Amino acid sequence: MLRIKGGRIYDPERNINGQVEDICIQDGKIVASVDEDAPTLDATGLIVFPGGVDVHTHVAGGAINFARAMSPEDHRRAQAFIRTQTTRGGIGGYAPTTFATGYLYAGMGWTTVNEAAVPVLSARHTHEELHDIPVLDKSLLVLMANNEILLDLLDTGEHERAKDVVAWYLWAAKAYGVKAVNPGGVAAWKWGHDAKQLSTPIDGYQRVTPGDIITHLARIVDELHLPHPMHLHCNNLGAPGNVATTLETMERLEGHRAHLAHLQYHAYGGDDWDSMRSAAAQVAEYFNASPHLTTDAGVVLFGDTVTITADGPWQHLLYKLTGRKWGNLDVENETGCGIVPYTYKRTNLVNAVQWAVGLELLLLIDDPWRVFLTTDHPNGACFWRYPEILHLLMCRDFRRECWNTFPDRIKQRIVLPELDREYTLLEIATIISAGPAKALGLNTKGGLAPGKDADLVLYSPNQDVAQMFSHPRYVIKAGQIVVEEGEIRSTPAGREIIFQPGFSPDVESYLRERFEDCYTMSFENYPVEMERVENPLIQSADPSGQS
Amino acid sequence: MGGKVTCTLGEVKNRADFIVYWGGNPAECHPRHFTKYTIMQKSRFLPRGRKDRTMVLVDIRETKSVKAADIFLQVRPGKDFELITVLRAMIKDQPVDDSAIAEIGLQRSDLEDLVARMKRAKFGVMFFGMGLSMTRGKHMNSAALLTLAAEMNAFTKFVAMPMRGHGNVTGADVVMRWQTGYPFGVSYHRGYPRYNPGEFSTVDVLVRGDTDCVFVLGADPGATMPQPAIEHLKRVPTIVLDPHVTHTSRLANVHITTAPAGIAAAGTAYRMDEIALPLRPAIDSPYPSDFEVVRRIHEAIRQKPDWRVRSPWIERQLDAAH
Repeated sequence: MLRIKGGRIYDPERNINGQVEDICIQDGKIVASVDEDAPTLDATGLIVFPGGVDVHTHVAGGAINFARAMSPEDHRRAQAFIRTQTTRGGIGGYAPTTFATGYLYAGMGWTTVNEAAVPVLSARHTHEELHDIPVLDKSLLVLMANNEILLDLLDTGEHERAKDVVAWYLWAAKAYGVKAVNPGGVAAWKWGHDAKQLSTPIDGYQRVTPGDIITHLARIVDELHLPHPMHLHCNNLGAPGNVATTLETMERLEGHRAHLAHLQYHAYGGDDWDSMRSAAAQVAEYFNASPHLTTDAGVVLFGDTVTITADGPWQHLLYKLTGRKWGNLDVENETGCGIVPYTYKRTNLVNAVQWAVGLELLLLIDDPWRVFLTTDHPNGACFWRYPEILHLLMCRDFRRECWNTFPDRIKQRIVLPELDREYTLLEIATIISAGPAKALGLNTKGGLAPGKDADLVLYSPNQDVAQMFSHPRYVIKAGQIVVEEGEIRSTPAGREIIFQPGFSPDVESYLRERFEDCYTMSFENYPVEMERVENPLIQSADPSGQS
Repeated sequence: MGGKVTCTLGEVKNRADFIVYWGGNPAECHPRHFTKYTIMQKSRFLPRGRKDRTMVLVDIRETKSVKAADIFLQVRPGKDFELITVLRAMIKDQPVDDSAIAEIGLQRSDLEDLVARMKRAKFGVMFFGMGLSMTRGKHMNSAALLTLAAEMNAFTKFVAMPMRGHGNVTGADVVMRWQTGYPFGVSYHRGYPRYNPGEFSTVDVLVRGDTDCVFVLGADPGATMPQPAIEHLKRVPTIVLDPHVTHTSRLANVHITTAPAGIAAAGTAYRMDEIALPLRPAIDSPYPSDFEVVRRIHEAIRQKPDWRVRSPWIERQLDAAH
């Protein structure tokens, strides 16, 4: 039991904008009132936000663990987490270890994260890592847009069976939702190719095109009533002129819900690297008129990081461009994965445009309920740099200081200098918590109303916005104080949120027959056992339909 | 140079029409590799199985694996790095001196043929064993081969994979990476993970005599490590957990027999391609699992006073209490 007294509340869902109200907590939930003699936390003068929700991050599983192996030189210079009576040892940096990931997110006031790209084949491994990320509640999305069993079904137009296959995979992985990465392109990468055109059949298939995968998968996700729409990493990521692909993708999504991941990487004009320019205005204009879509920004910040994505062909190109280390991991029947360390430089024309585009999208998309703060961690920057971005969004003068250092030829390629918008605190609370919680369909997250999970963060007001957001005064997770003045006070285990749609039982015999041809693991060993998932919180669309 | 271009074993099974084993003897060391994952399998893309695939073996001597190979290249001992470097030059059509090739112990025509076949392949894979990674040049050999595989992607699809062995060594490597950031050779002496192979790897710590207690789990250093390391194992309290009595058990103070994982105990094993497989016991065992023994030892240690660093927050709470 706890009463938080006298704080200034920011709750976008109820449009509470800094009014002073008490918040009462009991059994991990926010409640309308608690006993008079409940312990009190004096929050006078403090700003109270719902705990942060990351809609798109890469914190656990084969890909980030590959990146950890490839980054010993970064670990050596990164923040060391010394074990204490409350915390375990670890390493920060651009590919933090699991325990450190929990401490870094919680230390910043984020309490829920969505691991956005997991091959079903390595879901067992991913759950083991998620188990070792303390404090946070977690969900994961499985990669479906290059699954060869599914592509065969789409090629022959067997929509109903494809739907069952997707539902079965979600059940097998103990996942929460569906991710599509470079639809068809990663399947083509298995032979060293890519898929650049939405209407050209994919290598090795008769009919199915990337555009078909996008619409079919979005439809399947809608028909399965998944709480989170299809989470899409569009084709042609990172390429100059890819705005055409992005607009065409949005057109094909008419009539379906979808979440467009890291939109910054998909909003470029120009014809080649020399002529690359921002196309954020075009993308934002279309997006503003498409209320069925949500997106996250995928902001780039200058500095060192490592890029990891299921988009194998893109990573091969990045390796050729940079000549740096290259990790690649193709996963049988399902997907690929590529890893390349990268340094974003403010003197590099392409990087400067990318930096601007991420901010432009956040400023040009009108509705904060539909665009969310991410860096596509660790791709654009590490998640622990979010406060720097909040500073840029809230302070036009600070933005000017930054872009003023760019050479003139860059300033002509971006629209950022013309944008005067400054985010309010309520809008910030929307893009870091309420909005992503709503897009994920996590009804108990992202708000401060009675009935919500008692995940909240209290900041001391500070002119230095970045300082304020990186050092909360208190962080409370499920009613327990986990961070106090920048120190980890307790490290309770988080929960894993799982969604299990129903599927027709015949899909098992269909998959069992195909399994030996596609995989090297026996059918019985493939699904993750529910006992392996720590504290599962299972949701299902139709409780009776579960097989 | 760096990184690794690889895939899961099912990709090899389904697609690899060109397979190289380098510095390994899978016929004897990974006897099911050929039949389950590589040359013998038929697939959608390679319907004729063995006939659709080419296998090359590179080694310093003829082993039982030669019989399975279409092409055997016998490299002079200690010249693997040179051979890889020559191949890296030849795929890019750079000139290579005759003397460089003579040094390796192979013919130019052999290498030209190999390069042509590599480029013609639709999907090439190179598996490398300890004959490459543990001989002269060591990790530099592995790095060179991984680089060759990466560079081959300018021409066609190519991947590489180490032939891991020794039980669940890949699993240990994977867990160490997510918990510490490093695969092995980690020291926790300063309270956070530090990595320095050659300083913190087990053999170096033992040879220097830096430990005053040794806990051995799923390994038999008494059989494989150099004499000075073994001498140190004898000098200090050594505890072994193993289903069998090993060489190390014989020099240890304590041996605890545990149920073998996958036979009489449940658990998880990571395949060499880092895919986690569940282990289910087929029979019961009178012995506890490794997990159970470690859990009970940990439980007993927790009863002792905590000597770890206190967080400043806890210090303040204690101060306030006094």
